Amino acid sequence: MRKIFPAEELARDSRFIRQTNEQRMGDPRGARIAGGNASGNLAKLTPDLPNGPDRARALMHGIFVGEIQALEGAGRTCWDFELGDEVPLALKLDMARQCWDEARHCEISVSLAEHMGTELGEYAENALLYEAACNPDPVLRLTGVNRALEGLAIDVFNTMKEFGNMAGDPVLEFCEDWMLADEVTHVKMGSDWLRRLTENDKDRLDKALEFQKVVDRLFSFNGFRGEDDDSPIQLTRRFRELAGFSDEEIDEIADMSRDARFEATA
Amino acid sequence: MVQVSVKPESFEMVFYDVAVIGEVVTEVAERLGVDEAITLDIDENSPLGRSKILSYDPIGLWVDGGALENTQRPRNFGQARSRDTIGRLLLRILDRRSGRFDDAPTDDELDLSQFAAWDVHNVGRLERIGLGGQRKRRLYQFRNRHGFTDLADAAFEELWGSSELSWAEIERISVGCRT
Repeated sequence: MRKIFPAEELARDSRFIRQTNEQRMGDPRGARIAGGNASGNLAKLTPDLPNGPDRARALMHGIFVGEIQALEGAGRTCWDFELGDEVPLALKLDMARQCWDEARHCEISVSLAEHMGTELGEYAENALLYEAACNPDPVLRLTGVNRALEGLAIDVFNTMKEFGNMAGDPVLEFCEDWMLADEVTHVKMGSDWLRRLTENDKDRLDKALEFQKVVDRLFSFNGFRGEDDDSPIQLTRRFRELAGFSDEEIDEIADMSRDARFEATA
Repeated sequence: MVQVSVKPESFEMVFYDVAVIGEVVTEVAERLGVDEAITLDIDENSPLGRSKILSYDPIGLWVDGGALENTQRPRNFGQARSRDTIGRLLLRILDRRSGRFDDAPTDDELDLSQFAAWDVHNVGRLERIGLGGQRKRRLYQFRNRHGFTDLADAAFEELWGSSELSWAEIERISVGCRT
């Protein structure tokens, strides 16, 4: 079986329509997030918004395809690297555990889609998450996926959990809470392996953190994820701290989001 | 004969075709028995899904470009979504003209719960004449406005399955199940 499987060849049935990064970023109306337009009229995702339930549905579908790609990415990391030379067995075991978590998240997401009245494939799928999981360096891969993207997942799941709480929807609230707990573990794995594998390699550490920034920036979507009251997705400091992020790192993500928002509205 | 006027006449942000949009609006209007001129203003800059009635007589509608979009293929026209959007607006116009909604608040005065309840009644009727559906999507919206309870689900069924309710009946059902 070949190493580093290309995103274009991921197996999907006819229900799924792929939207390329060029198409997504090239939309002159602004990149889409959670069923809304990220370039203007930002508002925290709550049930009180006139389009709140529909935005939650769209975001939940984005979570669903993200879970599929996270499963595929963690599975590839178990296979793509040689034991001993490239990664230790304990890292592969962590990725195997993550596969089990992501598979469970896929099933939960399918059930939540049904609960929210969303059909699988109702929205376009973008493969940016999996593409970050194609980095040939396992340290960069884990930093990009487990710290940047799973870090974003912490923010998204917490926002959805709060949405469920405000709507009086215990199914959504508890499902998101359970998945959030797993995401904190996944990010912690990324933080721990980044530290262990670069213990004596400052250059590799710097490259990994730079790759994380690139991925974080790609997912900043004009500042949709941040700490401002009207940020659609709220940056979640407490859970990020639990997952191994320093205060400085969280500040940096918040600043990046503010900068992206300023650029989008300037 | 339905006469549809679409503005703008061409699009730069989305891949929409005025002729195709006109055909869909005409189809929906004819199925609902609307036989008059319709003006449709589209804000192609917005991918959101808002819509409103600008004028009841003559009929003037306004929508975000996103309200006519194929969610699987962003920037492309979506026939099913457009039928749902236009159908709901036209049914609201027909309801208000029927005399059964004389005591309904103006569109600007309707709150989210009232809108959700009326929309359920509209989309249920549209589904029965083959113009859309997404019953579970509407149920989720209704629950968000009325509570995730058996009482709210029963109210949804009544709104969805009824043929021609009055505003007083919609309001009674909506208020009666709110938590």
